Amino acid sequence: MIKSLQELQDYIKSKDNFTNFTNSSVVPDVCKTEPCMLGVDEAGRGPVLGPMVYGIAYCPVNQTKVLKDLGCADSKALTEDKRDDIFSKMITEEDSLNNVGWIADVISPNYISNSMYRRAKHSLNEVSMNSAIALIKKAAESGANITEVYVDTVGPPEKYQAKLSEIFPDYKITVAKKADSIYPIVSAASIVAKVTRDHALKVWKFLEGLELNQAEFGSGYPGDPVTKKFIREQIDHVFGYPMLVRFSWSTAELMLQEKAATCTFEDIDEPGSKRSNTKSISSFFAKPNEDKPRKRHKFFDERHLSVGNPFE
Amino acid sequence: MSIQVENNLKTEEHKDKFEQTAHYIPCKIDSDGPANVEKYFVPYIVDKDGELTASFRGHSLDGKKMTLPEGYRAVTVTETKRPLAEDVERKFQVTGGFKEFTYWNWDQKPTKNDKMERAFDWIDISDAMHGD
Repeated sequence: MIKSLQELQDYIKSKDNFTNFTNSSVVPDVCKTEPCMLGVDEAGRGPVLGPMVYGIAYCPVNQTKVLKDLGCADSKALTEDKRDDIFSKMITEEDSLNNVGWIADVISPNYISNSMYRRAKHSLNEVSMNSAIALIKKAAESGANITEVYVDTVGPPEKYQAKLSEIFPDYKITVAKKADSIYPIVSAASIVAKVTRDHALKVWKFLEGLELNQAEFGSGYPGDPVTKKFIREQIDHVFGYPMLVRFSWSTAELMLQEKAATCTFEDIDEPGSKRSNTKSISSFFAKPNEDKPRKRHKFFDERHLSVGNPFE
Repeated sequence: MSIQVENNLKTEEHKDKFEQTAHYIPCKIDSDGPANVEKYFVPYIVDKDGELTASFRGHSLDGKKMTLPEGYRAVTVTETKRPLAEDVERKFQVTGGFKEFTYWNWDQKPTKNDKMERAFDWIDISDAMHGD
């Protein structure tokens, strides 16, 4: 249970930054009995580096005043300092501790790349939706009496809303664009997510042993000149980037294509799936190709064995 | 063309050189030379009861340790100077080797059906054909 931004940083530092982890408040007692609303928002979806963080916040339906007192409003209109300030109040002030619960899901850049580079590709949307669903479940499992859910989305709300309603038939679900400027509980969730991401970047430790801090990699947004420089220059010829970077972002992909060793993974197309065995009619009239090398037995093909000269 | 491989390293004295760490990555890497394996790869290997995971260029890898069949070992060699002319003798120096390596698959757990594992079948067959 963290009680300051310093403790938030220490908690993040104690976790492996190439895997996912969550950070959560204690469930306030009142949330276990009173019907609660829950807000969901995300931070760091677009940047080419750092984790994406999903945040939820919940409080009794009749306690919206606490959120207003905290200053939860359109989080995009809040400065970083202001967000830090509100989050600090959330984890210290009696009124908030007694009424507002929250959870942050820190999704590592490595997890994001790995998901998008699966054999069966997993889109960022799926990663996002799974995180949101898991967080709502986690809140309910830890005892919060959730009745209403508000979700901010960048994509089309209808499909998302239908999916959530199917999974959580007992909750009243609202998915909306810019929900964080409409519903204070989503603003609170947004603050949880943004503050967590901001601090995760501040304390990022490169397991690669690079002595760099945020002044040298920036915000991660593709327009940030510091990030641009980092993506352009911090390249390892074989491994590409340190794990801070989302390899699956086109900014990173294009730069590696240009500046690092070419890496080709095996084709995903399984043998025998596409190629047709039907010979074209003209092939029956063509002169048989006698120079064609003898095909090796499939014993060797299946094992990738061939006679070669490694000294060539 | 004849090939001569010279070994000046005694196995007993250079145990570490003949027991180097090797990784088989399921990816063609268009590069030849030193790589920062210790810095960029090793810190991310997670071992859960012998089931290994890691990541290369954003791709998730599943791996396991494999040992070369009894009586076999891998040897690495270098050639100081490649002769310009073809059909002349070439000389290689043994620099080390390994007895076991880590085999990595891209996003699927290694199984007995993997080509690498099955390739070792050849050794039994070869033994039956050419052995005493």
